[in-house]
Amino acid sequence: MHELSMANAMVKTVLDVAEKNNATEILEVTIEVGQLTMLNPEQLKFLLDVLVENTLLEGSKINIEEVPVEIDCKTCNYEGLPNMDGSDHYLAIVRCPECGGRNLEITAGRECNVKTIKIEQEDDADASGSE
Amino acid sequence: MHKIADIEIQHDIMVANKKLARRNQKIFDKANTFSIDVLGAIGSGKTSLIETLIQKMDYKIGVIAGDVISKFDAGRIERYNVPVVGLNTGKECHLDAHLVEHALPDLPLKDIDLLFIENVGNLICPVDFDLGSHIRMVVISVTEGDDTAEKHPLIFKDADLVIINKVDIADAVGADSDKMVADVKEINPDINVIKSSLKTGEGLDEIISAIDGFIKDR
Repeated sequence: MHELSMANAMVKTVLDVAEKNNATEILEVTIEVGQLTMLNPEQLKFLLDVLVENTLLEGSKINIEEVPVEIDCKTCNYEGLPNMDGSDHYLAIVRCPECGGRNLEITAGRECNVKTIKIEQEDDADASGSE
Repeated sequence: MHKIADIEIQHDIMVANKKLARRNQKIFDKANTFSIDVLGAIGSGKTSLIETLIQKMDYKIGVIAGDVISKFDAGRIERYNVPVVGLNTGKECHLDAHLVEHALPDLPLKDIDLLFIENVGNLICPVDFDLGSHIRMVVISVTEGDDTAEKHPLIFKDADLVIINKVDIADAVGADSDKMVADVKEINPDINVIKSSLKTGEGLDEIISAIDGFIKDR
């Protein structure tokens, strides 16, 4: 159940950036979660909804985008999506869809990224604090 | 007047953890301490294996014993008179690089050649969190069922050494330990998978020589 600590870290990141940018309101947050992370987007969304209560994030639209798994096959140099069959991620990281090779590097799908926020700010606020 | 601004944050929590992990590894390297993240299921024998290795190996050993809310594991290790820090995660299901960083000042790293970092018993959550250890050793046992490896592929994909423990009672629990080895090899073809029993001593020499090998090849 590390959705809670991840959700906490995300809320903190967003609130820090919002404060630095003199946000009066946070309209939207976009978060990327890799399909291979051990995070369940539904649970994450639920916890975010709870954690944002009484913060500047309350009422904001939270978008969670799933990042597909990508592999790099060291045998045939195939780069791209593995064979994903729905919920089963076993084959995805085990066999190259092109040559069947097993020497694969996972190049995407393990992200947990606070990507962007859309905020409302005072007109004379300095937005240079953004990272 | 108000205006709307779109702000790029691009703050990846996994990347932030990895940065802290690299910092931990630099601390280990500076002290010439080889560190092993010991992962595995609840009750697979992680603490017992560490206790056995403390007695059998000729290194100056230290231990970080991760647990959710108890100090039982740390208490077991203390009996062997080696430096040990109990690390409680509170409600969390895994150690992370930040928690480990906080434990390091309580260990005399310069007097430790080999540090075991015992993770919380869990085959899922710890996978996402690099601690900065030099290798990851995963301990599972036949009592969890012989489908354990195929159900949790990612932890084996990231592992450097895998121990299948309690093989002496495989028949009694109806588990096929050879299948478990084959499943791990299917996920991670080049990995060293050792069948062991801490009761009979089977596999212990192999585990010790595998760890020796990693330390020499560092």
